[in-house]
Amino acid sequence: MLSNTKLFSNETSRRKFVRAGLLAVATAPAIAAWPALAQQNSEQQITAQLSAPEFTGPEPNPFWNSVGPLVTQPQKSPLILLTDRPVQLETPRQYFLNAFTPNEAFYVRWHLETLPNAIDLKQWRLRVDGNVEKSIEFSLPELFTRFQPVSVAAVNQCSGNSRSRFQPRVPGGQWGNGAMGNALWTGVKLRDVLNAAKLKTGSVQIQFEGLDRGKGPEGNGSNRFLKSLDLNNPVTDEVILAYAMNNKPLPLLNGFPLRAVVPGYFATYWLKSLTSIRILDKTDDNFWMKSGYRVPDTPRGSTTPDEFKTGKVPTVPISKIPVRSFLISPDGLDKIPAGFPLQLQGIAFSGNGGIKKVEVSDDNGKNWREAHLGDDLGPYSFRIWQFAWAPKHPGKYQIAVRATDGIGNIQPDEGVWNPGGYLWNKIERQEIVIGDAA
Amino acid sequence: MKTYKYLEVALVIGAIGTGTAVYAQHKTGQYEAGSSGKITQPLAQPLSTDSSYDEGPLLTYRPTLAPGDGRQEVEVYCNTCHSSIYITMQPPLPADTWAAEVTKMRKTFGADFPDEIANKVVRYLQANYTPDTRKH
Repeated sequence: MLSNTKLFSNETSRRKFVRAGLLAVATAPAIAAWPALAQQNSEQQITAQLSAPEFTGPEPNPFWNSVGPLVTQPQKSPLILLTDRPVQLETPRQYFLNAFTPNEAFYVRWHLETLPNAIDLKQWRLRVDGNVEKSIEFSLPELFTRFQPVSVAAVNQCSGNSRSRFQPRVPGGQWGNGAMGNALWTGVKLRDVLNAAKLKTGSVQIQFEGLDRGKGPEGNGSNRFLKSLDLNNPVTDEVILAYAMNNKPLPLLNGFPLRAVVPGYFATYWLKSLTSIRILDKTDDNFWMKSGYRVPDTPRGSTTPDEFKTGKVPTVPISKIPVRSFLISPDGLDKIPAGFPLQLQGIAFSGNGGIKKVEVSDDNGKNWREAHLGDDLGPYSFRIWQFAWAPKHPGKYQIAVRATDGIGNIQPDEGVWNPGGYLWNKIERQEIVIGDAA
Repeated sequence: MKTYKYLEVALVIGAIGTGTAVYAQHKTGQYEAGSSGKITQPLAQPLSTDSSYDEGPLLTYRPTLAPGDGRQEVEVYCNTCHSSIYITMQPPLPADTWAAEVTKMRKTFGADFPDEIANKVVRYLQANYTPDTRKH
């Protein structure tokens, strides 16, 4: 502990400090005795600094992001901690003010604890094998030069984004809304690589493998993370094996040196630190396809806990991202003076043909007005929206935002429930407090 | 005329009064010690020109598990494959959900530990992490 002599260079300044303190103490009761003023200052007394709670529940998480502390990891800005081993980090809300999410702020989600710390590019190869005429391997420079590079702006959203909204709550990573990001991905087309290997007849699926590995027994879901796509799925023609993210190498935690980019699909298929593409002649029955990342084969992938317990709810592998939109600014943390010319701004996205329309309501969803859409960066990207709003009267306003996607899906005002905590896309709301200004 | 003079004086006093009131509504110069901690800026790693792209070790942030019987077993067995933050991150979960989670870790993911340890871990999770029992 610091002693007084260290705090104050000389006796005079210490005396001055004490005098100021006494003055403050003497003045305080006088201000407090002015009741009108004391009440006008604030309805709630602002005292100590408030911190987010350590957990939320059993009610839904009421915050935009998850509640963990901000922490650092290699190549990353401070992000919100979900788990440290394996690593799961959430992107704070303010990073979504831009259409592209910076690499250093991009969320992180690994499944198994033996994820890579270092890649030796002398050793690293992308191998294509399985049901092919000839197995081939590519070094990273070979991928740079042998194929025509392509780029796509695409949203990478975790299947469990917003899981902490579920009611009743489900176990799993308790993500708020920040398990998503948008980047410009550049690399080679999967089709070009497959053509180089020449697929044999009877090929049905493409299985991706990366360095998301654990200590579990061989053949078990805890040993390696594997995901597959149907060869005849149209998305297969859209898949890019990306070596660049926003024109830079990927951070290791986001899948350096190469990751699968599956535009419009949830991130579970976007394998990180890709090492192998295996052509299968039958449907993949590994844990991560047969049991993990499945959703009820029902409208919006929704069911109820009781229905699910019967064991009769059929499930399918999760696939496309349903339409979502968010208000990013203002974020409700600051009081705004009545009449202030606000520009509400946020993002919208969908795995189904991009965004056609975004609407805003300032009365909790009763009346809707159309927002202005920003640049169209392609059907798989975040679309920025803006809406001019200058509320004249003090009050607490419930701002709601809903988007309509390219095939006419409108965000619904009902949540979903499924045991995995997937596919949340309910209309989002944000309370904005407008204060008296004159 | 005299009346007006009085009114003027009253207005001036009133204006001073209002001015003081407005001034007193501002707060100035208040501080208190930050309690949310601080994040030290990481220093850039030295970079070599060889073929290794190394980010160094990942960083762990150990949670504090609730004290109680079974905590040590959780620290030893559950931590083999994942940090126990996987427990503290969860919302309070019903007792049977915790039992199902431990079964999933053993049967589905192949966590290798005996029944008696599994039972102890389940009892610990139920005693500290359900809606009725979770305190922190």
